[in-house]
Amino acid sequence: MMNEQRREFIKKTALGVLVGLGAASGLVPAFSLEKTVLPVWDEKPVPGKIRWGMLIDTRKCKEGCQQCAAACHHAHNVPDFRNKKDEIKWLWQNPYQKVFPTASQQFVSKEIQDRSYLALCNHCAESPCTKACPTEATFKRWDGIVAMDYHRCIGCRFCMAACPYGSRSFNWQDPRTAIHDPVTTYPTREQGVVEKCNFCSDRLVKGQQPACTEACPEQALTFGDLNDPRSDIRRLLEANETMQRKPELGTKPSVFYII
Amino acid sequence: MMSKKLIWIFAVTAIMLFAVLNVFRKGEAETPPQPVHKSVAVDSSKCIAPASFMRANHMQVLYEWRNSSVRTGNRVYIAQNGSKYEKSLNTCIGCHSNNRMFCFNCHSYANVKPKCWNCHLSPMETP
Repeated sequence: MMNEQRREFIKKTALGVLVGLGAASGLVPAFSLEKTVLPVWDEKPVPGKIRWGMLIDTRKCKEGCQQCAAACHHAHNVPDFRNKKDEIKWLWQNPYQKVFPTASQQFVSKEIQDRSYLALCNHCAESPCTKACPTEATFKRWDGIVAMDYHRCIGCRFCMAACPYGSRSFNWQDPRTAIHDPVTTYPTREQGVVEKCNFCSDRLVKGQQPACTEACPEQALTFGDLNDPRSDIRRLLEANETMQRKPELGTKPSVFYII
Repeated sequence: MMSKKLIWIFAVTAIMLFAVLNVFRKGEAETPPQPVHKSVAVDSSKCIAPASFMRANHMQVLYEWRNSSVRTGNRVYIAQNGSKYEKSLNTCIGCHSNNRMFCFNCHSYANVKPKCWNCHLSPMETP
């Protein structure tokens, strides 16, 4: 009995070693999906310790450059229906009047008015969308990200009505038909759910910067922890005059703009 | 006589009924076809739990994984033997994708239609 178990153990160990060696030397093909690596944080995260934020330096943003939006939409399998009615957007550009309709500055220069500005989910500290959601499909995460749990979304679109920034899009059609260059590293969505920017929580978990921040050739986007006084974003916020979208609503956005 | 004729008719119908019923019962009595378990992982010693447990409880495991990883951010699963895994469908499919029918074989047999593959990559779609 004892010997039998011992024999089995030795056999299995030898097999495991062989497979391991095979994988290391490239004999056994490595799996080409996203590598499942353990996240950068090991334990259950502490709620409220981190608050992720983004600062967009619109002075550096070059007219006609779409690299951030393209990188974002590619990395997250965002469908492109080539049709305004079915449009799904996570990160997009809009003129001054649409991004800052209630800006307190009067008589801004023509140059500022003619530029286009990046818009995305503001990941508000006081998010109206999470309060409107009847199923808690959208919720405030431990790190300040307003996250979507697509498993729970019933497609009622209350969050879209509640969001004052138009950051949410509804999948009227099956999005899989309109993903022109799908990636295997991120799931798609299905027909009948709302989707939006996730502040690249899929990349943060691997210790990476958001796709838009990384893709920007001018380093116009700064991403960091708003609760950490020594972070780059906090230093830039202290050194510059910044703006938020519709601050009078009291949503406390985590996305800031240098105009 | 009339009564003898009737008895004959009854007997014949009874035999026919019995025969017909028996034919149908034969189909019922056959053992239903069992699904073929061809899903041998690349390295089966690495599974998070024994196959018998996974066969019966994978839905509870996946449900727990999805809730705790998406909502509370607890993305690390610690198995019985102490080894750690990322709570992700890719952890499963990473080993089992060598069988394209991994999920579908049993699901079609049991006629269950989970909605996982509306969004996630199924073993059939993996590269």
